[in-house]
Amino acid sequence: MPLRGSREGAYLDEQILLAAGAPPPGAFAAGGGGSRLFGGRRAAAVSTVSTVVFLGVVVVLFVFAPGAAAVRHTFFNPQQMWQAFRGDPSKGLYSVGKGLILNVEMFLIAEVLILFCALVIAVLRQLRNPVLFPFRMLAVIYTDVFRGVPLIIVIFAIGFGAPALYIRGISTQSDFVYGIAALVLSYSAYVAEVYRAGINSVHQSQVAAARSLGLSQWKSLRYVVLPQAVRTVIPPLLNDFISLQKDTALVSTLGAVIEANRAAQIDSSTLFVYSSYTVAALLFLCLTIPLARFTDHLIARDVGRRMAGGGAIR
Amino acid sequence: MRKSVVLVVLALLAVGLAARGSGAAPVSTTTVAGAASCSYGAVQPDLLKKGVLTVATDSPAYDPWFVNNTPSNGKGYESAVAYAVAKDLGFSKSHVKWTVEPFDASFAPGPKSFDFDINEISYTSERATVVAFSVSYYDVQQALVSLKASPIVKHHSPAELRTYVYGDQIGSTSLAFINDELRPIHQPSVFNTLNDAKSALQDDRIQALVADTPTAQYISSSEIPHSVLVGQFPSTGEHYGLLFAKGDKLVGCVDKALDKLKANGTLAKLQRQWLDIYTSVPTIKP
Repeated sequence: MPLRGSREGAYLDEQILLAAGAPPPGAFAAGGGGSRLFGGRRAAAVSTVSTVVFLGVVVVLFVFAPGAAAVRHTFFNPQQMWQAFRGDPSKGLYSVGKGLILNVEMFLIAEVLILFCALVIAVLRQLRNPVLFPFRMLAVIYTDVFRGVPLIIVIFAIGFGAPALYIRGISTQSDFVYGIAALVLSYSAYVAEVYRAGINSVHQSQVAAARSLGLSQWKSLRYVVLPQAVRTVIPPLLNDFISLQKDTALVSTLGAVIEANRAAQIDSSTLFVYSSYTVAALLFLCLTIPLARFTDHLIARDVGRRMAGGGAIR
Repeated sequence: MRKSVVLVVLALLAVGLAARGSGAAPVSTTTVAGAASCSYGAVQPDLLKKGVLTVATDSPAYDPWFVNNTPSNGKGYESAVAYAVAKDLGFSKSHVKWTVEPFDASFAPGPKSFDFDINEISYTSERATVVAFSVSYYDVQQALVSLKASPIVKHHSPAELRTYVYGDQIGSTSLAFINDELRPIHQPSVFNTLNDAKSALQDDRIQALVADTPTAQYISSSEIPHSVLVGQFPSTGEHYGLLFAKGDKLVGCVDKALDKLKANGTLAKLQRQWLDIYTSVPTIKP
């Protein structure tokens, strides 16, 4: 389906929003401005009952299962969770909390680089100048390859491959740097596609209008298309960054980066319990849930604007 | 309409899973194996599968504990010990079944998929609160491997040992040894597998790796060119034990078998046969 007419453009926006986990705009309209999550009073009663039943089943399974005591001891031992969080060198335990700082550092550095690299790639794919054909082709190959190769293999290839080359400047970097390089390579390919979807969602008439005002192709892209495109894709971008936060854990396979997950692994193998993993999971949730709520907020705001404007207001 | 169908399907799935979960309840081994009865017949109720001794190890299974990553060939020290224990309990070679158990999974709660796990696992009192260990089948010392060109080959006084970058495999007690005994200034690297650690040593990403002496000797003599076993450290009393489910009644009989194999010299003979290149390794002080 060519993404030219206004209906298709709007359709694409909707798909992006759906991909980001938002209900279709119509769902809100039907609610008539009532509470989105709970609906009417009868619906509230039903959801309360079903929640209670659901939680009841979970609790029964968790408390009365034949192996429940062993599972609690292994996964949810408060004393060992606290030990794993703080670390205890005298027992050979690493601090999962300290490890998380590395995850946050990797995430923040990688995120900035990804936002930039991905935008460059997306724009390259968009340019129609025949002279730039090789770059366009490279951009296509790049996104195909790095979206297709599992991240952990990219991390291995760079972290174990680059030092083996013995090239000055490249082979002597730390695992921290190799890990970030791998994250940027892999995620830029995904994020470039998100940007591209955003660029495609900007109506063709906008470009036509910009060109008729005398803006060059580049300027109309820079001042008309990109500002609208980026705003549209902020929710799916944040979605990718929630995923990136978790994937920083994979960098530990290189050895020298003892981030939260690796610290948890070490603690687990030292004490033969998995409580340290529970701690790592909770800490990652503390990072990702606020970002998820923020994403929801942005989606809701965007939908609100659309509903209010009725037309092509973004 | 469609939503409710999905809900019903989900509910059915949940019920199905729950049923499966309770069906797979831990097999309780309440039969008390009497102190005197470790005969072939007497141990049957304690087995995962009657008539078969199921033995686990990780994959890859490393030399010289196993040979050619094939536990069932009877070659390598741990494979040989497993078959010697099996023989003492009355199992023929064909009634020993090997299964792969990743190290991380070996201490998971719930029913075990093996009778015992033999995977260079060190006994510690903390670990013994979660799983059961047999008595020692090998007393471990840690050793140091580096490339021949590394300064650590000549300079390894206690103070100098602190200055190097070490690496190790995750889950190994060697990491605790590095942190507790060598106390290096740089944080040691921790790899998923021993093979990753070896690769890092080859590429100068770490300067030395610490492993038990037989593993270290094998790495330096057969695996990494231009590497050398710098020396082994004095014993800290560490030993390898077979790993069992907590409360497994089979431990008593396997302990007896191991005691017998130790007393009649079988373990010493197997160590000479499979691990014998280590008597001349120099000892260095951490």
